[in-house]
Amino acid sequence: MESPAPRQAAAELRAAHDDRGLHARRRAAQGRPVVGYFGCDTPVELITAAGALPVRLAGRAGRDTSSARTYLDGAVDPQAVNILAAILTPQDHDPVLDMIVITHDCDASLQLFYTLRELRRIGAETFPPVHFVDLLHLPGEPTRRHNLGRIRRFADQLAAWRGRAIDAAELAEAVADHDAARAARTELRRRRADALSGSEALRWYAAATAMPARQYADTLTAALAGAAGDRPAGRPLFVSGSTHDTAEVYDVLEDDGWLVVGEDHDWGDGGDQPLVGVPTLEALTDHYTRAVLPTIARPPHRMARDFSEAVRGSGAQYVLTYCRQYDDAHRWGHPARAAAAGVPAALLREQPYSDIDLPQLSSQLLSQEARMTR
Amino acid sequence: MSDRTIPRPRLNAAGDALRHQRDWFATLRGQAEQGRPFALVNADVPQELLRAMDLPYVVNQWWSSIISAKRMSGRYLEALRERGLPDDVEQYSALPLAEALSPRGDDAPWGGLPLPSVVLADCSGDSLRRMFQLWESELDVPFLPLESAAAEIVPENWWELMRHDWEMAIGTARIDLLHLELQELVPRLEQLTGARFSPERLAQIMALSNEQAEWNRRTRDLLASAPQCPVPVNDVIPAVMIPQWHRGTPWATAAAESLYREVSSLVAEGSAVVPHERRRLMWIGRGLWFDMDFYRSFEQSHGAVFVWSMYLALAADAYARYGDDPLRALAARFCAFRDQMYTPPWSVQWYTKEARTHRVDGVVHLISPDSRASWFTTHALRQAGIPVLEIRADNADGRSLDPAALHDQVARWIESLPDHE
Ligand code: SF4
Ligand code: SF4
Repeated sequence: MESPAPRQAAAELRAAHDDRGLHARRRAAQGRPVVGYFGCDTPVELITAAGALPVRLAGRAGRDTSSARTYLDGAVDPQAVNILAAILTPQDHDPVLDMIVITHDCDASLQLFYTLRELRRIGAETFPPVHFVDLLHLPGEPTRRHNLGRIRRFADQLAAWRGRAIDAAELAEAVADHDAARAARTELRRRRADALSGSEALRWYAAATAMPARQYADTLTAALAGAAGDRPAGRPLFVSGSTHDTAEVYDVLEDDGWLVVGEDHDWGDGGDQPLVGVPTLEALTDHYTRAVLPTIARPPHRMARDFSEAVRGSGAQYVLTYCRQYDDAHRWGHPARAAAAGVPAALLREQPYSDIDLPQLSSQLLSQEARMTR
Repeated sequence: MSDRTIPRPRLNAAGDALRHQRDWFATLRGQAEQGRPFALVNADVPQELLRAMDLPYVVNQWWSSIISAKRMSGRYLEALRERGLPDDVEQYSALPLAEALSPRGDDAPWGGLPLPSVVLADCSGDSLRRMFQLWESELDVPFLPLESAAAEIVPENWWELMRHDWEMAIGTARIDLLHLELQELVPRLEQLTGARFSPERLAQIMALSNEQAEWNRRTRDLLASAPQCPVPVNDVIPAVMIPQWHRGTPWATAAAESLYREVSSLVAEGSAVVPHERRRLMWIGRGLWFDMDFYRSFEQSHGAVFVWSMYLALAADAYARYGDDPLRALAARFCAFRDQMYTPPWSVQWYTKEARTHRVDGVVHLISPDSRASWFTTHALRQAGIPVLEIRADNADGRSLDPAALHDQVARWIESLPDHE
């Protein structure tokens, strides 16, 4: 495909974020299936290799989630509830799905899967077929072996679904396409702090999970070619904690004079991955067991080290640990991260989906800053 | 009719168990202070493995219950708060950590828990894993994590399959994973503590613990089928739970047997908690630990008695695993443990079956924010024709519940249930 001009490329990335069903509809119009997935460690290569478009499921601000909350009523991140609502009652801009894939990357994903499985069993709602891929992340050999079995099973399930096994050429092409997207994203991570607002960077990242991989790589590369080297204005802030699957919170922050220069959640910089390289199920297993670690599975020593490097590399002068309601696990690591950061660090708890308590943020950061400069 | 609750002494089995527990802990504590290694383990960790190594262990949740009972939670949680750590997330599991981070005081419960040589937990739950990591980062106590795998497909009626057909019920993949992890855990623990694993000992432990589960099953079946409930459930709880922490010892198996014998003779005598039992009730969800008397407060006024406890029912259905390979059977005991009580369809089918076999007239379902799948539980019970009263509580520590209002609510609901008389 011919690379679009930088401005146009940037507009295409934004469009893929703002309307996550855009590319799914285009694919469907060609008679090709769309697979919605939940979990940062989903082996998307297998979905692509099976001829389908993988689209990461995202929430949407303002969606009515009351009926989904009835089913998924425990202490579950409202983002997952929002996604359940989209699965049960899709609206405009929600991708129309032929299959749903859920991995075991956190509590919320597991609860979402259990809820869908039980809704299907009792016949309470209708929705596309759901597959669960139980990928785990401890560093030992038992985990790797388990994951290899899960990845093989998933490849078989996809083969049965489309009526034909995934062949070596299909897998090789899919791995190459997704690796191209990874390489482009790594470039985005390197350059975003000096060229883009945080909300623009997050939109560009989010497009990766709603577009065909090769097309994304080309579009992002073209857009980056036009990204000028002058840093947007704002107090540079690093965002940790819960994931942000849409740009709302970043928009609010940046309207308030902050500039998000980096983050470690997996919808943004934290989704940076090394290349898979070798197109085999074994290589995919190694990649999704050890290279792709959900936040919760990152060992603390590694987390503190990665964290201080990421903060320094981004040029952030402030750190925010943002915890959505019921997504409290990040709080256990906050003191260590704050110490590693060496700059004022705020902790916001019980944040609603797609919103943030700005006055709290300012008061925590500015009071720490005053203490540190005294 | 003069409904008078007959004051009944605590079950002998409960008193014996409590005494045993104190003696056992005093010994463990003394040895630990002499330098003998011991482990702190979460309830879902295959403790039988440690027993087969002759490595003493304390169960995290049990020790939490002692801290809570001695009303030390508030003070210990302060230590978490001071470090910027959450004091309101998984508090119950966090109490032993909080104690270890607190200044040592003379008023520590049972003399206090010495610092463990190693802690073990499985990775169920985002917070639990993070929290256990702090034993290592803050206290230099090695943390050995185990995976918590999940199944895509599960069969119906697990309680009929688990004793013998666990390989099929749970699925080979999950069992393989924990089996392999246990094989790797043995040399790690040997190296950390100097203890030695004995396969023969494990075989004996599995045999004893299966026998213990059979006694518990008999006790549960007896309580389900007795014409009237012979003993208050909250008396049964310690008599079942404490031997569970000693699973696989001759003492624990004998304790389960003597509980059975004691309950049998009560049934044979025709004892009843309320002389004219009019409604049989089941409680699902967190216990009201702050108000144990609550459960008994409808006996006189309404002839209503809570007849079921999750602890005995789990001890009856969830533990027995027979098979030629003790280590694999042990893996099978634990790798789907939480599913049995928390994950639909397993949890909801099991609650419904227990409600039926105990002939309950209604279920009080306490829904706390960390309950799982509560809509499905209520739905399944109502589908089965069993009335359910849902109570929503923000936490189980009494702050969010007005006991008087709760009592009235339950009383009114009981009055709406059909009466046996
Ligand atoms: S009795 Fe059951 S719920 Fe309580 S700690 Fe043991 S396993 Fe967990
Ligand atoms: S999951 Fe529930 S029972 Fe288990 S440790 Fe946490 S609070 Fe306790």
